[in-house]
Amino acid sequence: MSLFKLSPIAAKQWQRFKSIKRGYYSAVIFIALLVLSLGAELLVSNRAILVKYEGNYYFPTYGGIIPGRSFGLDYDYETNYRDLKNQIGENQDNWVLLPPVPYSPLENDFQSLEYPPYGPSMENSHYLGTDTTGRDVLARLIYGFRIAIGFSLMLLFFNYIIGISLGSMMGYFGGWFDLFFQRLIEIWSNVPFLYVVMIIASIITPGFWTLALIMIVFGWMSMTWYMRTVTYQEKAKDYVMAARACGASHSRIMFRHILPNTVSLIVTFLPFSITSGITSLTALDYLGFGLPPPTPSWGEMLSQGIQNLDAPWIVASVVGSMTVVLVMVTYIGEAVREAYDPRKFSTYE
Amino acid sequence: MNKILKIISASLFAVLLIGCGSEQQDPTETVLEAQVLAAYPISELTEELIWETNLDDPIFADPQAIKGGTLRMYNSAFPLTLRSVGPDSNNQMRTLVQGNQLGLIDMHPVTDKVIPVLATHWAYGNDGKTIYYKLNPQARWSDGKAIRADDYLFTLDFMRSPDILAPWYNNHYTTEILEVKKYDDLTISVTGSTAKPKADLHYYYSISPTPRHFHILNEDWVKNYNWKIEPNSGPYKITNIRKGKYLDLELKKDWWAKDLKYFKYRFNVDRIRVKVIRDEEIAFRHFMKGELDLFPIKAPKFWHERATGPLIDNGYIHKIQFYNNIARSPFGFYLNQDSKPLDEPGMREALASAINFDGMLENVLRGDYERLPSFNTGHGKYSNTELTAPKFDLDKANALLDAAGWDTRDSNGIRTKNGEALNFGITYGTAIHTDGLVYLKEEAKKAGIELRLDMLDAASFFKKLNEKTYQLAMLSFGVGYRPAYWQHFHSENAHKPQTNNMTNMDKPEIDELIMQYRAATAAQDRERLSRDISTLIHQQGAFIPGYYAPYTRSAYWRWLRLPSFVGTAQNSSPFDLFGNTGGLFWLDPKIKEETLAGKKAKQVFEKQILLDTQHKVQ
Repeated sequence: MSLFKLSPIAAKQWQRFKSIKRGYYSAVIFIALLVLSLGAELLVSNRAILVKYEGNYYFPTYGGIIPGRSFGLDYDYETNYRDLKNQIGENQDNWVLLPPVPYSPLENDFQSLEYPPYGPSMENSHYLGTDTTGRDVLARLIYGFRIAIGFSLMLLFFNYIIGISLGSMMGYFGGWFDLFFQRLIEIWSNVPFLYVVMIIASIITPGFWTLALIMIVFGWMSMTWYMRTVTYQEKAKDYVMAARACGASHSRIMFRHILPNTVSLIVTFLPFSITSGITSLTALDYLGFGLPPPTPSWGEMLSQGIQNLDAPWIVASVVGSMTVVLVMVTYIGEAVREAYDPRKFSTYE
Repeated sequence: MNKILKIISASLFAVLLIGCGSEQQDPTETVLEAQVLAAYPISELTEELIWETNLDDPIFADPQAIKGGTLRMYNSAFPLTLRSVGPDSNNQMRTLVQGNQLGLIDMHPVTDKVIPVLATHWAYGNDGKTIYYKLNPQARWSDGKAIRADDYLFTLDFMRSPDILAPWYNNHYTTEILEVKKYDDLTISVTGSTAKPKADLHYYYSISPTPRHFHILNEDWVKNYNWKIEPNSGPYKITNIRKGKYLDLELKKDWWAKDLKYFKYRFNVDRIRVKVIRDEEIAFRHFMKGELDLFPIKAPKFWHERATGPLIDNGYIHKIQFYNNIARSPFGFYLNQDSKPLDEPGMREALASAINFDGMLENVLRGDYERLPSFNTGHGKYSNTELTAPKFDLDKANALLDAAGWDTRDSNGIRTKNGEALNFGITYGTAIHTDGLVYLKEEAKKAGIELRLDMLDAASFFKKLNEKTYQLAMLSFGVGYRPAYWQHFHSENAHKPQTNNMTNMDKPEIDELIMQYRAATAAQDRERLSRDISTLIHQQGAFIPGYYAPYTRSAYWRWLRLPSFVGTAQNSSPFDLFGNTGGLFWLDPKIKEETLAGKKAKQVFEKQILLDTQHKVQ
């Protein structure tokens, strides 16, 4: 970690964080999962990673589709690389390198004489089985994770931008501005979010961005209260007055002087906001008001799993992964909070 | 009121109901007793009539049937009202109410001839749109009052009343049924708006009586009659309700029609208890425990997986797959021809060739359903049986799409034209279809067509349908006794909201045939015209036929017995409760005792999984 020059305080906090083992390792694993999920196409996809055919190399993973005809097959739609691999067989010159899980999260894989859901099978590379329409559970799990985490991070970003700026302004300006927004937020937070989503989902089929927008519109409030309070606190301190005396503008004081001093608060909330983003998306998908089918989603898998308890691999996979992810995030959050706590030992009476 | 529901209701004979005091004594009842209703005026019978009746057809019930017992079944929701018209009346339990309101006549389910019910005789007027009925003097409401001509005349007043808040009925009984006349207490006539072939007059111009002494029409009618049990004329009456829990129907002890020829040996069980169990899985557990006698297991999941095991293997529970031969609902994709590029016939054909319904039936629905051949299926001679559904054919789709200029593909393999990707939105209203549509979506991609799945909740779905803002809509219509084309395919209903022309079909040649079909009075002409219209519609390709189940499947405990002939071709299920095919089954107390004792003693009975294909259409 010598890439960055950390301030002595930050270095201390980092040390502290590292010393809390379960939080630290959770963070390492979580970041690794995040990075891996960004490259999910290389691990889980119906497209081959590398194909050598007639002396040419193909990298089908990224970019446009390669029609079957390019490989001597008789169709124009996307090559089925699993079939291609079987057809080429043991040929030395031509070969196909498939990802470890050779299925896309959207494709139906039907086996003859049997109906899905199929149980976990090493032979068919369905390591966690398939769902009721023959889609690979692991593939949907991984892409679902990526979508959930992406959604959650984006939600967090916008919620924090709005919540932090408005909260700081309320704390900083106080007076009528503060009063007005307090009342506004009180009213606004009483609008039942779930009903609004249900109403909107019944009129239009929400996509990723519409859903994100709805959730931002109803999700920015909670951060304002905390920011308002800390800003009030900070505003009364001498350095603010000094900055004022030097002629700093309001926005400069708020964002350059006060904000850095509230970072510990923001950082402490971060992991929990991520969790809540994931759970609310999952909950909405579970209820059927979330992302449109056939988007891979944990909520949709959960509801499918509960309807098909005789195919326990569906529900077990999704509940298992969800538990692991949420527990990890909670550990991270705990460690971060601990690291930012100036008191090393606390006693509560 | 939305159109879909209208059509569904249109397929039923007009009826009504509304309850009298159920759990508590209702004060209005006594008031009514005292109220003297002025009789309707008597008209003079001017025509020479030839009265007809039909008591020569065979009975369609089993003389072995044993009377008595309680049939226990379930429903997933409790109705919001016991009215059969007005707000919320179009609910799942409606048949329990409406099924016990008889019509003047009915159709014999085997011979397809008219049989007497509330009327004993009928005669046809010379104008081709009037039908005369002689009423059965024995007919009684469940409260003991006689059913007389005034009750039929009141039907018209009732159905036209704005107080019932039922615009479809208001309209139907104003524009379709023009007049009901009374000649004496037991003779009436019904006049419709247009002449129809003689054989179909009963279907179009029959009405049910409404108990005049029971209803007080005013603006509070909907509220006041929400939970009242209307006197009825059928075999059962509602005797007991516990809202949200169950509903009991009891066989009337001295039902006026019990000795009529076509009602003999039917309606055998004394009591029907409909329990409300909101979750299907839980209801199935109740059934397997023997707390329900009967369970519908049409879904592949239930038939193949759930309803298996020792209870079935040891013969305590029987399963039946019963094929029938009734008109099939036109379920499939309705292509909005006002939405580009679906206005081009070639594009519609290409799309139909890229929709792999057959593969979906085989892979997702386990080969349990059959492909619907065309819009009009199962209407006997009114259907053109030579039509077949378009096959999944990528070569054809590719050729047509190339020809239409969609000859480039983007990086996802979706075809493009002038930089625009070829995609279609499919609007649908229930999550049940998602699994199948996901499959169709992946298959259509092979032809370079992207299908977007727009699932909406039921209310918004109907709204979107009514406003015709969809590209493809996946839906079905209820079907009547005869095919109805005008509402679905006449240009008069095209390009405007709130009509049933879901494809915005606007073809002069189809219009012309439809008008001829509506005006034709000879059955043969109508049959020919109907087939011709079906063919033309099929050629337009604006409806991509989906699938249907030509059967029903049920699981039932061994003591529930069926007639030796199981059911008629018109039975939607051998366990139909009411209607012209209802009440054929019975409960055998001896077998019940034997089965329960045998189950305790682990005795094995004969395993029975019945595949009844006698009425299967080949």
